[in-house]
Amino acid sequence: MSNLSRRDLFKLITTALLAISGALGLGALFRFLDYQTDPPLKTAFDIGLAEDYPAGSRSLIAEVPALLIHDQNGFSALSLVCTHLGCTIAQNGTGFACPCHGSRYDADGNVLRGPAQKPLRHLRVEVGSDQHVILHTD
Amino acid sequence: MKRLIALGSALLLLAIVAAWWANSRQPKPIVLIPTLTGKPEYCLTCHSDLPEISKSHPIKTFGCVICHGGEALALNADLAHSTMRGGANPSDLSVVQESCGGSSCHSGTAEQNNNHIQRVLTSVQATYAGAITNILYTYGAEGDLTARFGIRAVADAQVTTSTGVPALQAFDPAGASNPAIQKFAVNCLFCHLNAQPLPGPQFDRLSGCAACHTPGIGSLPPGQIHKLTTAIPYTQCNTCHNRGNYDLRAMAFVPRSDQPQAADRVQNYYQPIAQFTKCEYELDCIDCHTRTEAMGDGDIHSNETQIQYIQCRTCHGTPTQLPSTKMLTDPNDIAFRQAQLNPVVDLELGQTVIVTDKGEPMWNTRVLPDGTYQLVGKATGQVFTFRPVMGSGCTQNGIDQSSAYCHTCHAVQR
Amino acid sequence: MRPTFFHHLHPPTIPARQARWRYTLGAGGTAVFLMLVLGATGALEMFYYIPTPEQAALSIQTISYHVPFGALVRNVHFWAAQLLLIVMGVHLVRVVFTGSYAPPRRFNYLLGLGLFVCAILLDFTGYILRWDQGIGWALVVGTNLIKTIPWIGSPLYLVLTGGSQPGPPTLIRFYTWHIFGLALCAMVLMVWHAFRVRRDGGIAVPPPHLRVDQARINRNELVRREVLAMLLTGAALILFAAFMPAPIAQPITDISAIRGEARAPWFFLWVQQMLKWGDPFIWGVLAPLLVLLMLALIPYILPNPAERELGRWFPASGRPAQIAAAVIALLIIVLTIFGSLPGS
Repeated sequence: MSNLSRRDLFKLITTALLAISGALGLGALFRFLDYQTDPPLKTAFDIGLAEDYPAGSRSLIAEVPALLIHDQNGFSALSLVCTHLGCTIAQNGTGFACPCHGSRYDADGNVLRGPAQKPLRHLRVEVGSDQHVILHTD
Repeated sequence: MKRLIALGSALLLLAIVAAWWANSRQPKPIVLIPTLTGKPEYCLTCHSDLPEISKSHPIKTFGCVICHGGEALALNADLAHSTMRGGANPSDLSVVQESCGGSSCHSGTAEQNNNHIQRVLTSVQATYAGAITNILYTYGAEGDLTARFGIRAVADAQVTTSTGVPALQAFDPAGASNPAIQKFAVNCLFCHLNAQPLPGPQFDRLSGCAACHTPGIGSLPPGQIHKLTTAIPYTQCNTCHNRGNYDLRAMAFVPRSDQPQAADRVQNYYQPIAQFTKCEYELDCIDCHTRTEAMGDGDIHSNETQIQYIQCRTCHGTPTQLPSTKMLTDPNDIAFRQAQLNPVVDLELGQTVIVTDKGEPMWNTRVLPDGTYQLVGKATGQVFTFRPVMGSGCTQNGIDQSSAYCHTCHAVQR
Repeated sequence: MRPTFFHHLHPPTIPARQARWRYTLGAGGTAVFLMLVLGATGALEMFYYIPTPEQAALSIQTISYHVPFGALVRNVHFWAAQLLLIVMGVHLVRVVFTGSYAPPRRFNYLLGLGLFVCAILLDFTGYILRWDQGIGWALVVGTNLIKTIPWIGSPLYLVLTGGSQPGPPTLIRFYTWHIFGLALCAMVLMVWHAFRVRRDGGIAVPPPHLRVDQARINRNELVRREVLAMLLTGAALILFAAFMPAPIAQPITDISAIRGEARAPWFFLWVQQMLKWGDPFIWGVLAPLLVLLMLALIPYILPNPAERELGRWFPASGRPAQIAAAVIALLIIVLTIFGSLPGS
């Protein structure tokens, strides 16, 4: 083996070793940063007894935030999180308006005006055996 | 030089690979976020094999740290255990307030009867006031039998009975001149719920709530029993109450050297002269002795006799009187809560149960239609039926009705 | 190509004799590398560390036990910090023993000494940031020492702790000093120190006409040696960190109920040992300051080595300085050993 190629070989080995080290180090760095310290968000909300929400009522549940609707079909719930960029929308007449970018929704959560494009999300409502209403955001 | 750098690079890579390997060897943490605290704890990483401690304390709600303390985040056993409350026994009375207390838990309610921690702290089982008082009186250090000292100082803001005393000081033998009192202090202050337990892991958890509510705890090494129950078998009472005998001349406690055998209960009792009727060794202690007797009524009493009131007649009545009974009409009656905690009977509204002199329902009894009575063993579920004294051939007069009189005829041969 | 700071520090050639390991011990370069490592790992720790009394020790538990490679990062930071003090000490002793402090390097010697003081303070503040039982007494004793200084003791204590006893403002102040104040000082001093090394003519050597050996190495060779030193130090640090965890203890919940380690951190054991001799102001404040002053005065009051004797170990003309430094180093080492003995 000539002197020149031998030197190149060491250079190649060194570069390769350092590249692998670097990749492993970057992997470790990514895993280091990619750690969630706070507990996962709550996805189930116990909002009390079903009898507190009589038929025909539309109740604002601020902690979710959601609107609990009790009509002839039973319970349903609309998420009050704007589908555009996640601001909490407010009641506006019979429908809802987003304070951030002016999206409007009707009473059933359908988009009346952009920039939002998707209708409001329907949340799963569960009435447990103890007659407690649970809203699921997942 | 280039070769050295290549070698150095190899070493660095080796070190990084070793670091990855060490990282992958870390135990996979098991997180638990109890709904009561909402804070993550990682105890289950090692302790996932422990059984649920009781139906009333589900781990999903309570977690571990709220009772045991400790470092919730640490994955190193030494650090994690370093701040555990009361070590192996979070219910030791020195820390019980933090472990088991709180207004939603076992202390702090306005109703004195529900402040279990205060009741236990003031009870004779914790203060040892009776023995201390008797010794001081016997050796002339005190002029009467009113308790002034307990194992630790304790006060009661709300004296409700005629025998209750407002406060006890911690018993300090330093001032006592009598050698017997000194000896008593050295040898006899280890038992009882508020005492510093004897050295040794078998005694670690024989103080505080666990002494009674964690049966079997004295006989097994720490960590093997994780249980809280109100179904306390007599064997647990025996752990302390049948552990040996006093030697008053030497002023010492002599632990028994023979192993008590469960099969032969009556022969096994430490005092050969003690007398028992059949029910006293067939039932469990808690079948008759109520929670108020065992844990106190919230008052500080000078001795055991002031708080022990269950007698044979509580259930059997006297030749002239049937036992007191009560029909359960209030769904909030404490009987229902007790029956729910230890579901050996299906208690229903309208049932009639025996009540004690203090009006406590003996929730595990019922009056049968034919005028006899039934008792269900709280620890065993075993059903016993029994008759009242009234209408039997018993000729004992109606005044002398303490159990000593019953034993004259009804004690079994030992 | 325009010369950059890198070129300033790495001239085209340097004398071979004075670039050897056995002359420099590689200590200065290693110290620079360690400071860079400390900056990087420290920045990573800042992603998770929470400087409040309630959360500090818990966030360190999170880093140590839960964040992937968090223990590695913390341990590298810890070991690099310990190693830095040793390496700096070695560097200082080497400089005195080779007479390299002689003019025109007197000022840079002081810069280096300032850097050393910065590093010690950084180590101490970093130690306090653990806010667990292990550091409780060091915090109480260290801050109370300030109080013993006549006249300015009390206001200085307030400046340092932000209260009448160590508490939340103390932690945030130590944190700010550690990650900002002292770190900034150290960075400025480090750059200045390195810059001055070149400004003062590189590593001390005799003038060309007095040199025995005229051989020189070029820039590439120098860089290669530096790379090799970094690779080896880096590998050693990572290995150490992967298998030797940094100390950790139970969080401090009540500053008036500390029950942990009563021993000072190792780099202050010599001061702790002196504190047993009597007045805390004299032994805990004046004596260490005096040691520092004596070190600082070496180039100014003791005879400087002759030009022709530069660039080698133990020049005869620098004997008094060598003896002075050796005595100080020996005293500190002996006191440290006594202080670390169990039961002392």
